[in-house]
Amino acid sequence: MGSRLFASLVAATLAAAPIFCQPTRAPKALAAKAWTSPRTADGHPDLEGVWTNATITPFERPREYSQHLVLTDAEVKAVEQEAAESRVDRPPPPGDPGGYNQFWFDRGTTVVATRRSSLVIDPADGRVPPLMPEAQKRQEAARTYARMHPADGPEDRSLAERCLLWGTAGPPMMPGPYNNNYQIVQGRGYVAILVEMIHDVRRIPTDGNPHLAKNIRQWMGDPRGHWEGDTLVVDTTNFTDKTHYRGADENLHLIERFRRVDPDTLLYEFTVDDPTAFTRPWTAEIPMTRSTGSVFEYACHEGNYALDDILRGARREERQGSR
Amino acid sequence: MRKRLMIVMAGASLLLAAVPVWAHHAFAAEFDAKKPVKLEGKVTKMEWINPHAWIHIDVKNADGTMTNWMIEGGTPNTLLRRGFTKDSLAIGTEVVVDGYQAKDGSFRANGRDITFTDGRKLFLGSNNANEGAPYQEPEKK
Repeated sequence: MGSRLFASLVAATLAAAPIFCQPTRAPKALAAKAWTSPRTADGHPDLEGVWTNATITPFERPREYSQHLVLTDAEVKAVEQEAAESRVDRPPPPGDPGGYNQFWFDRGTTVVATRRSSLVIDPADGRVPPLMPEAQKRQEAARTYARMHPADGPEDRSLAERCLLWGTAGPPMMPGPYNNNYQIVQGRGYVAILVEMIHDVRRIPTDGNPHLAKNIRQWMGDPRGHWEGDTLVVDTTNFTDKTHYRGADENLHLIERFRRVDPDTLLYEFTVDDPTAFTRPWTAEIPMTRSTGSVFEYACHEGNYALDDILRGARREERQGSR
Repeated sequence: MRKRLMIVMAGASLLLAAVPVWAHHAFAAEFDAKKPVKLEGKVTKMEWINPHAWIHIDVKNADGTMTNWMIEGGTPNTLLRRGFTKDSLAIGTEVVVDGYQAKDGSFRANGRDITFTDGRKLFLGSNNANEGAPYQEPEKK
């Protein structure tokens, strides 16, 4: 890419009006018009509704784009065209049983409205920072164990396969292959988020009470919300050791920010602060768009035949000595 | 020309990072890549459930006997958003399934590719992946 094009991209990004008073993060496209959110009865911005975070923008910035913060019109078109072409059924590579037809998936068709080249916005290269050495060792040990014990019992399989907790529910909330829907409900002293995958409700108190005692741990952590101007800031701690968001541990301190920037856009940003897991904090931004539909029930437990199949398959392979 | 090619190539690499890897891991644990199956049969039941919908089909074997296979699909929620319901795939419809048999040896396979006998994909409507499109009540006949 020519240096002239690169320079103009940098200029465009720096010129964008700040939303969170941090110039390097401001999305130019969304800050174009000043807009005031309607209020709920208690005077806070109304974030209610069903929102979706489906997007084809990758989480981390590919290395070729390392300094390329925002896609040009031509690049957006090319990326979206590429995504459309990839949504075609193809035979899987050899040794891979493949998955399902594309009609089962709903990953989204567009890049994020800000046209950023990745969802991670800090560090500046758009990539998650390295893990601390202890965390790295823990991950490697887990991988080694999984190779040797892929399916001794249900506990060897992922929480998602066991229909307990989906990785995209987090927190933080992440786009996934389908059902990328969240419903926000606001009441006096709390905000609640219904997560379609897989039927969780995060109840976020906004009454100013402190976090739970440190010895009480929750699978989705313990959230506390407060308003900073028109931004809902949610501070979540008290995670268990059962989830490891991208390598995080039970010391994860997650800060999420929700701000409705126009009638159909909820800007969602989260910072992962976990000094025992990551070498530095990092931040991602995922604009969410309003959905006109509903969240449907995802009763994951009602027919989880797949887990049975996986366990029975492992037992059969053991009997046959093929493992 | 070169610049356009560069954009397309860059776009491709932008997307490769977006494909979730977790999905393949689960399929590889459930289905046997060494046991491909190609099944043709009539739908006997549509299990419209999560986490996976299952399409039951009666397949006639070479020796004339009949075997009922269960074919694993994805989430019905996505189909509902595209305007399809449990009844969209009528009992008795002939389908062709390309997939792999379950590792446990049961008559289950993943519906890697499910089509009608003429090759058309099932559940095709608009390819508008508009998550949250209003659910439409099916027209009463």
